[in-house]
Amino acid sequence: MKKKIILLAGLGIMLFSSCTVLKEYEKVNINDPDMALADRKIDKFQTTFQSYREAASGANGGKTGGGCGCN
Amino acid sequence: MKYLFSLLLIASVLVASAQDNNTAGEYKKRVLEHTEIDFLVNYYQQDGENAAVTGGYGTEELQDLSPTIVVAMPLNDDDVLTINANISAYTSASSSNIDPFDGKQPADPFVASSGASKSDVWGNVVGSYSHSSDDRNRLWNANLSVSAEFDYTSFGFGAGRTWLFNEKNTELSLNGNIYLDTWKLLYPIELRPEGGSFQQVVPGYDPSFNEHTSKGRNSYSAGIGLSQILSSRMTGYVSADFILQDGLLATPFHRIYFADKEDYFYENFQLADDIEQLPDSRFKIALGARLNYFVNHRVTLRTFYRYYTDDWGISSHTASLEIPVKITDKFTLYPSYRFYNQTAADYFAPANEHLSTEEYYTSDYDLSKFTANNYGFGVSYTDVFTKGHIWKLGLKSIDAKFHKYDRDSAFSASMFSFGVKFVVD
Repeated sequence: MKKKIILLAGLGIMLFSSCTVLKEYEKVNINDPDMALADRKIDKFQTTFQSYREAASGANGGKTGGGCGCN
Repeated sequence: MKYLFSLLLIASVLVASAQDNNTAGEYKKRVLEHTEIDFLVNYYQQDGENAAVTGGYGTEELQDLSPTIVVAMPLNDDDVLTINANISAYTSASSSNIDPFDGKQPADPFVASSGASKSDVWGNVVGSYSHSSDDRNRLWNANLSVSAEFDYTSFGFGAGRTWLFNEKNTELSLNGNIYLDTWKLLYPIELRPEGGSFQQVVPGYDPSFNEHTSKGRNSYSAGIGLSQILSSRMTGYVSADFILQDGLLATPFHRIYFADKEDYFYENFQLADDIEQLPDSRFKIALGARLNYFVNHRVTLRTFYRYYTDDWGISSHTASLEIPVKITDKFTLYPSYRFYNQTAADYFAPANEHLSTEEYYTSDYDLSKFTANNYGFGVSYTDVFTKGHIWKLGLKSIDAKFHKYDRDSAFSASMFSFGVKFVVD
């Protein structure tokens, strides 16, 4: 488990340390709605269904537990 | 400790929000120009052969209809109030078999009963308030939620804080949430005090059952997220959620059939030896990552990966890919695929395999080992100029999406979601 966390953290640091800084006018592609780093609003139903039918939850912007008699 | 952890996080978010520098006099764009209203509805159906209510074998047939309305209102240049109201109305064959003896037909785990538990309505309201600093580099939010159904009520609250820096190329967010939930203890009919009649009509049936002494279930979560623009075409996000749950984590009406106890039947229905027993605490860790790539003005790649683990022995991998394709300037198609697998909880075994000497046991297949594949296909219509009108509502977007979900066990589900977004003039 520790190894996996370190590996993921390392990967994140490597990715984020190699990037450039974009000015606002250079963000045309990044600001495309399909580039949003979140689920679409209509996907909230799918996320809710998954929290009932699967043991894993969290880290996806959806429910992490609580609020229902689900897993 | 857990209260302290969550409350400290929420308090730090609220205190930090009071420290915003006000650069009055500078032009600032409103965070939200107009009130937006989303009408969403979802139809879901599932079927399977491993219902936990009937101890791990029996129909899992279920249909659910969920209308939802989300209203986001700008209160001023900086503040937005969002109200999300949701109803979920369902009929469930497995829940109906909490009491399978309806007298209309011989009770059977693969046949729905017409009892009171065959349907229910879950209602949920969430209010969220967000405030942005004048330079739009700081944001905090707080939320309150209430939800209820016949046998479960929940009260939740939380707060979050977001910092943007590096010319808004980097975003760091923290959030904390607490849910205080309460069960109404509903047991399988043959285990209730009035169920003593089964011991009279089924010779030898004498289950070793004790009622739960606790009704509460509390959940405390803390999350951190970091997003970064990686190039003019690529952006990424990593996040971690830490969740602690305590209280009654088992479901009171999930039956258990032991291997070392004789099987007793009434009609075609096996009577419970006990109900599911699970530890009164659970600690979960979820680590997620998103990476989106802008291929060209028509095609985008959206990817997601999550690793999950908890102290019940479950670990899981989730990976998904969505490929939105703009076929015109207003229409986008977005096919998607999601892979999911999980290992079994330490306390899971199928029907008639647990021993009565074990401390914890469940035959809930949602806690079993399985792999699932989810195929989705969506279509989206967007009009940024909101030319189409209904009264004072300008049509901004329409979305429709279909999902098909299959496990490698005997379970499958499908859902159809539809949403319309309006902007109020």
